Amino acid sequence: MKRTLIVGGGSGGTILANSLDRHEFEITMLSSSFGHLFQPALLYVAFSHARARFVRDERSLLARHVNLLHDEVTSINLKNKTVATKSGVLFPYDYLVVATGMHTDTSQIPGLSETNAEFGDYHSSLAKAERLSYHLDGFRGGTIAIGQSSPIIKCPPSPLEGVLLTDQLLRKRGLREISRLIYFTPYPRPYSAEPMNEVVEPLLEERGIEVMTFFDVERIDPANKTIFSIEGDKIEYDLPIIIPPFVGANITYEPSDAVDEDHFVIADKSTLRIKGAEDAFVVGDASNLPTSKAGVGAHLQAKVVAQLLSGHPATFDGRTSCPFDTGDGRGTFVIGSYDAPVIKARPTRIKHLMKTAFQRIYWISLRGTLNPVFDVYFKLTAPKKAAAASD
Amino acid sequence: MNQTSGRTLVDSRGSSCPGPITDLAIAYRRSKVGDVIELWATDPGVKADVNAWAAKTGNEIVSVDEAGGKITVIIRITKR
Ligand SMILES: Cc1cc2nc3c(=O)[nH]c(=O)nc-3n(C[C@H](O)[C@H](O)[C@H](O)COP(=O)(O)OP(=O)(O)OC[C@H]3O[C@@H](n4cnc5c(N)ncnc54)[C@H](O)[C@@H]3O)c2cc1C
Repeated sequence: MKRTLIVGGGSGGTILANSLDRHEFEITMLSSSFGHLFQPALLYVAFSHARARFVRDERSLLARHVNLLHDEVTSINLKNKTVATKSGVLFPYDYLVVATGMHTDTSQIPGLSETNAEFGDYHSSLAKAERLSYHLDGFRGGTIAIGQSSPIIKCPPSPLEGVLLTDQLLRKRGLREISRLIYFTPYPRPYSAEPMNEVVEPLLEERGIEVMTFFDVERIDPANKTIFSIEGDKIEYDLPIIIPPFVGANITYEPSDAVDEDHFVIADKSTLRIKGAEDAFVVGDASNLPTSKAGVGAHLQAKVVAQLLSGHPATFDGRTSCPFDTGDGRGTFVIGSYDAPVIKARPTRIKHLMKTAFQRIYWISLRGTLNPVFDVYFKLTAPKKAAAASD
Repeated sequence: MNQTSGRTLVDSRGSSCPGPITDLAIAYRRSKVGDVIELWATDPGVKADVNAWAAKTGNEIVSVDEAGGKITVIIRITKR
């Protein structure tokens, strides 16, 4: 039996644990939380009062043979092949898979912690999303400034989804005429990838949403309700919706160069092997791979690692397929891969329905039983590769 | 990202979404005046983006080279 340790019980870790053959692997999952949150729901908790069972017990999502332990991993020694936890236990492993995701860190930006504690956000937790929802309810007109405060983000379309859903909400409540909606972004255009931007920019214009590009948040002055950028601009707000910066889990690695400055695990972008390790892999948001941080990626990467651990050749091609709610019952998908640029995909009602349907099948998809359906979907929607470039 | 005494190498090859401009924005956030950023990319859109970025931020593009599909941009941080 191969002793396999999975650190993190979110989307990636759960799919991986359920994909490994119980006759071949002795699987232990160490996770700091037992409540598994369906994170995309935070958008709807904040902007449309969604209230459903968005958190489930991780135990109920795992195959029975997976040994689930509630503990926080504090250090990983890739040389000795051991993992240490907060409760003082040392776990040796044959194979390790890191699936610790990433979390928001408001301390990186002066003034953000106070602002976030007061107004909440829709990327950190259910409680924070409810806090934001409360402030949106109380909004009676004025300026709403919304955007991401640093370049790394969970689900790249989510800042734009937030601004489009805010616009929809204000129209519904008859407040749009007396409100300014300002979208700020560190990128040169509203959506970083040009083909998708060609879809998004006209939408924002049509809805009277002001855009401030190259706006990388440097600090916030809560007393004067102002956001300042590194590039020298500022925005005055009545209601700030600021997506905090993200960092990887606070785990010490040996060797220490297995993670970057923000604690993202450095790995081979195709085999997902952690730098300098033969038997350790990373899946999902925890890595520094040049692809979107999204559940779809975590899912596809978990499948690749499951194949590799079972001795079958497999590589990850950087494929993304992020659902993008553009408001008013329409949606689209951001589709691309390492060597296929993002494609231009117009919003439709069908695509929005697909996003809504996914909310229902998410819990089943963690079991891995829907993989054949996803395989067909990914094949049908595969983006065209660009011409290969040499060194 | 690879940093040695004020010179940062940002390898963004094969990254199309969110793309090289994201990596440049991260490197800029971590930089200080006097640093040099060397950005490698394969996405042809990078040239226009870096020009717009330099115009906006007031930083200096030292050179832009293209060979075999690889684009190399050298940037000197003069403003932060
Ligand atoms: C508003 C919003 C909208 C989104 N929309 C979409 C979407 O439409 N489509 C999509 O594909 N994705 C979407 N995502 C992103 C998606 O939710 C994440 O990318 C996905 O959950 C990443 O999975 P993961 O397994 O890498 O990490 P997570 O699911 O975050 O799991 C990480 C796990 O690691 C555990 N952990 C962390 N540190 C430790 C430690 N030290 N020791 C032990 N355990 C630890 C945590 O407790 C957690 O269980 C959205 C996210 C947000 C916030």
